[in-house]
Amino acid sequence: MRLPRIFGKKRGHRRTGSQIWGTVGDAAFHAALLLAGFIFGGLLVSGVAVPEWRINHDYLPARCTVVGKRIERRVADRPPGAWHAALLLRYETDGTAREAWAWPGPAAGGGDRGQAVRRLAAWPLGGEVPGWYDPAAPGTVVLQRGYNWWMWLLALLLPGALTAFGGAGLLRAARRWGKSEEHRAASAGLPELLDPVAQRPRASQGHPAVPCCDDLVNSPGTILRYRLPIESPENWTLLGFGLFALLWNAVLTVLAVQAGLDLLGGRRDWLLFALLLPFALVGIAGIAVFIRGIVLASAVGTTQLEIADHPLRPGGSYGLMLAQAGSGEFRELSLSLELEERATFRQGTDTRSERAVVWRQPIHVWQDVQLSPGTRFEAHATVRVPAAAMHSFASEHNSVRWMLVVHGTPARWPAFQRVFPLVVFPPTAGAAEVSP
Amino acid sequence: MTRSPEGRPSPVVSLQFDRVDRRYEPGDPLTARYRIEGLGDEPIEAVEHSVLWYTEGKGEEDLGVHFFARVEGSPTTTESDGTVAFHTRLPASPLSYEGVIVKVRWCARVRIFFRAARDFVSEHVFDVGRLPPARLVTAEAP
Repeated sequence: MRLPRIFGKKRGHRRTGSQIWGTVGDAAFHAALLLAGFIFGGLLVSGVAVPEWRINHDYLPARCTVVGKRIERRVADRPPGAWHAALLLRYETDGTAREAWAWPGPAAGGGDRGQAVRRLAAWPLGGEVPGWYDPAAPGTVVLQRGYNWWMWLLALLLPGALTAFGGAGLLRAARRWGKSEEHRAASAGLPELLDPVAQRPRASQGHPAVPCCDDLVNSPGTILRYRLPIESPENWTLLGFGLFALLWNAVLTVLAVQAGLDLLGGRRDWLLFALLLPFALVGIAGIAVFIRGIVLASAVGTTQLEIADHPLRPGGSYGLMLAQAGSGEFRELSLSLELEERATFRQGTDTRSERAVVWRQPIHVWQDVQLSPGTRFEAHATVRVPAAAMHSFASEHNSVRWMLVVHGTPARWPAFQRVFPLVVFPPTAGAAEVSP
Repeated sequence: MTRSPEGRPSPVVSLQFDRVDRRYEPGDPLTARYRIEGLGDEPIEAVEHSVLWYTEGKGEEDLGVHFFARVEGSPTTTESDGTVAFHTRLPASPLSYEGVIVKVRWCARVRIFFRAARDFVSEHVFDVGRLPPARLVTAEAP
């Protein structure tokens, strides 16, 4: 029998890992997770959940008399744990008198030795307390019933997550085992459930690999049929700057307070002071960049784009309405149609994306636009999708995206760009053949 | 019979499409016939034939299978000359695309699984649609 090769060829000269060994490794990893989930779950169920359930369902009530009491702590703990109160109880089971030690719940625990001794006074010798004993082992008695919800949550969540993750991975590996990539891709089933990390784009009905445009046609326009949603990656960048400034300055504040307290206490930690200065400069710069981003985002005014129909078809012409709010003068406002390719790939442990604009068509350029507060600039234009255009395409790691791009050059602010994604369907059957 | 560098028999899959130029339009019917030669005496576990698209370029390879069939053992020949035929109707998308960093290709694949824990793949590319190749936009305006 021949063992599978560790390395195999994928395409051309590129070497990739062996599919068989990859599947074996993946299955072993997920089997280990599943096993850990079972062991952890079994321990929690047998050690915590079952005893607690039995106390609440099987144990029988008994009137218990306190005949002795003491304080104790677990010497096995390193360092030794807190002191707890313990009561020696006398009770009867089936006519037999019994004595056993019991712990009266959370009220008896915690604290140092003195606190535990003071707590013991709550249970006078000869007093009666309600208790429950185990009919299977009458020498075991408890003074409290109920459930620790956090323990049940722990018992369900952690082993449950390990079992679900490991089980799904193992099932995925089993589905892959011995199957070609075509067979796996063609297999019906629950691939999304088994592989929740994979981000497969939603395809349009009847058009495989063409992205769904439901999110692009759910907003009616004021003049034309649809208002296109804006894609604003700069907003995420701004949020990132804001979070950075917040976290950095929070750390800086903690350090500054510590330095201030040291100074008030007569101590001077020169190393801390030396570190604070560059930290403070970075913190101030972070706030300045964030505020500048907010000012730029809000000062220019919103851009809206409406379109007469959607999705688009190659060779089709579609009316557009551009609306720009704000105030002041724009040296130039332009609208263009662009086609962009986007590819996602792995380099080592990093996932990288690369973009390339492969087609750009100017639609209209407006010069010297004067905006006044309260009114917005509105202009109509027509976009024509080339007859030989590639349709929108989206798969897990690759996409071909159409978009309308608004470039603005305000007189007083830096230039900006706003992107409105579109979906272009393939030509309908029987459409005229187009030569390149 | 050809042999691989490791000395094992390397089969030859001859696949013919029903269009000589291998060019189809979305929604067109496609018929392909193939014949496997040079198997030697190595026993076959199964043969799979499929029609699929895949991506090439900078990104990780994605795959979409449109038609798939697996035959356990040697495939039953459907023609008198020992060829196997399969038929499908192509979907509306995606079209074959020669982009700059993303390319979409259509192909028919025949994969032979041998009992000795190895497989052999033969891929035959065809075009869906007639799109011109894309070019990178470098200037600010075309």
